[in-house]
Amino acid sequence: MMGKLTTAAGAVLVAFAAACAKPPAPAATTPVPAASARADSAARAAADSAARAAARRDSLAAAARADSLARARAAESRADSMRQLVQRQSADTAPALTASGLVPADSATLSDPIHFDYNKADIAAADQARLDRKLALLAAHPRLEIRIAGNCDERGSDEYNLALGERRAAAAKRYLVAHGLAAGRVDVVSYGKEHPLDPGHGEDAWARNRRDDFVVSKGAN
Amino acid sequence: MTRGWFLAAMVLVAAPAAGRAQDTTAAAPGVRVGITYTPGTRPNLAVLPGASGAVLDSVRAILQRDLDYSDRFDVMSPPAGASASGDAPDYAALTALGADLAVAVVPMAGAPGAAVEVQLHDVHAGTVKDRAAVPLPPGGGEAFRQAVHRAADEVVQWATGSAGVAATTIAFVADGKLWHVDPDGEGRASIPSAGRPALSPAWSRDGRTLAYTAFVPIGRPLVLQDLATGARDIVPGTEYGVNITPEFSPDGRTLAYAHGDENGTDVYLYDLRSKAVTRLTVGRFYDNLSPTWSPDGGRLAFISTRAGLPQLYVMSADGSNQEVLAHFDFGSTGQTNGPEWSPDGQSVAFHREVHGVPQIFVLDLATRAVRQITGDGRNEDATWAPDSRHLAFVSSRSGVRQLWIVDLETGRMRPVVNTEGARLPAWSPRRTFFSEAG
Repeated sequence: MMGKLTTAAGAVLVAFAAACAKPPAPAATTPVPAASARADSAARAAADSAARAAARRDSLAAAARADSLARARAAESRADSMRQLVQRQSADTAPALTASGLVPADSATLSDPIHFDYNKADIAAADQARLDRKLALLAAHPRLEIRIAGNCDERGSDEYNLALGERRAAAAKRYLVAHGLAAGRVDVVSYGKEHPLDPGHGEDAWARNRRDDFVVSKGAN
Repeated sequence: MTRGWFLAAMVLVAAPAAGRAQDTTAAAPGVRVGITYTPGTRPNLAVLPGASGAVLDSVRAILQRDLDYSDRFDVMSPPAGASASGDAPDYAALTALGADLAVAVVPMAGAPGAAVEVQLHDVHAGTVKDRAAVPLPPGGGEAFRQAVHRAADEVVQWATGSAGVAATTIAFVADGKLWHVDPDGEGRASIPSAGRPALSPAWSRDGRTLAYTAFVPIGRPLVLQDLATGARDIVPGTEYGVNITPEFSPDGRTLAYAHGDENGTDVYLYDLRSKAVTRLTVGRFYDNLSPTWSPDGGRLAFISTRAGLPQLYVMSADGSNQEVLAHFDFGSTGQTNGPEWSPDGQSVAFHREVHGVPQIFVLDLATRAVRQITGDGRNEDATWAPDSRHLAFVSSRSGVRQLWIVDLETGRMRPVVNTEGARLPAWSPRRTFFSEAG
């Protein structure tokens, strides 16, 4: 979050500094006395090349600036949404389900949860196949977007489990993105231990509750 | 409290393994259970009867309960006839009863029902040790009770040299919403909050602002809420990821909290004036959370999963010198969470799982020794009273999850009524911030 913003701002600063510190390239070549045409042409070529490099740097700097501004605007707009949301008691007690436009079998494939070991956020080998099936489905429905919700068992504090749930959701997102899903089509959220599937207190209940849920946040149609 | 309770407490302390149900389950290896208390060091105190009336009786009842809950006195049943209605109490009779101190509530001339004088008598010297006029807001409501609580805290100050904690309140979460309740179980009220659930309320040092985590549909921001106006803002940067476990610095200028994203969870500081955010830890795919300040603002204790399970660490307030604070044995010590540094700086309270069940522990910073405070049921999320001797925590020992308060000096534990379903308590500073308006 802050790290990303700082990095983007830093890139702009560096680009600015580079653009300003470099004197115009042609000025460096003017003291060359009348000499052979070859030398002249070589100097002109060097000047052109320097100018092109400067232009490329300028355009990179401009792109970085635009990117940074876009990021800043997006962050500000999200912060504004948050400020509005916290003015009321807006519940987030259950994942919002969007009509997926998928046939039931595909819908089941997409929402099939994956599970985790105690205190761990590693994707189990068996669950990689589950994620691969979701990847195929997402490839076949390029307008579909999903949200991954990380959940935990009751052990550990309410607060630690929020952090752990975030890592569990992020682990699944990392796998999907590493295998070709556009990062913009998936977001993550943590419910910690607020939404156990099984209210029990034994190892069976705990195992069921340590999971990532997958919901459609934008439909296929 | 009654003498009967006092004797029961002595039995509990002297014979913790003698079949009592309370707090006798197996302790973690190498940890001492229970509390050492030398009986006979608390003065015997009586609240004297006197001129009757609804207001006066109410003042005496609240005072007596507050002085009992202060755990600094052995509160005696008031002796019949030892009245104090303007005349000096019968010191000889009180001495014969064994009283060391006596509290009298006397109506003030010209202001019947609107003010009383509270007196603390030294029974052995036969003198008034201290006295104060206490204006009483009318109506017997919240403002009235707070006025009496402040008087009780003053009496504790006169008698012991340090003030009581009756004029405080405890914020907590129940049914996904924020509430507060006074330590005597009265005055439960909701705090209209953003999001649901709202978690981890934390008091600013002046008691005017609460910081907490709000669950809203697009994230888990940290909200700063002005309690007087209800105005809310979010901590910059917390519009992304999970943002948890806020705690204000002792000078009130900085909020420490944890921000988690796809790469892990880390401790950050938010400067409330410059609005600058500083990152203190760098966890790659593990978590650093629950920062809690030393009273001098120089250090932060925090929870980290760098060695696997969550355990207790400490660092300088600039993020340097990170080290283990509460010793743990890799692979056998249960996970540790919810640390809170005591206001006097000498201890850190936390909960740690023993045989899979969370129990309250207190770490002594001078020796790094930990002692287990609870053993009956699930006990978690301890929060210090401003006197650094009482802890409020969540316990399931009665069969329902509710708030309990333990006095670490005597070992006395009592439930706080009206707190069923409570979790994540946060004990307020002393309520100088409380509205004086009737």
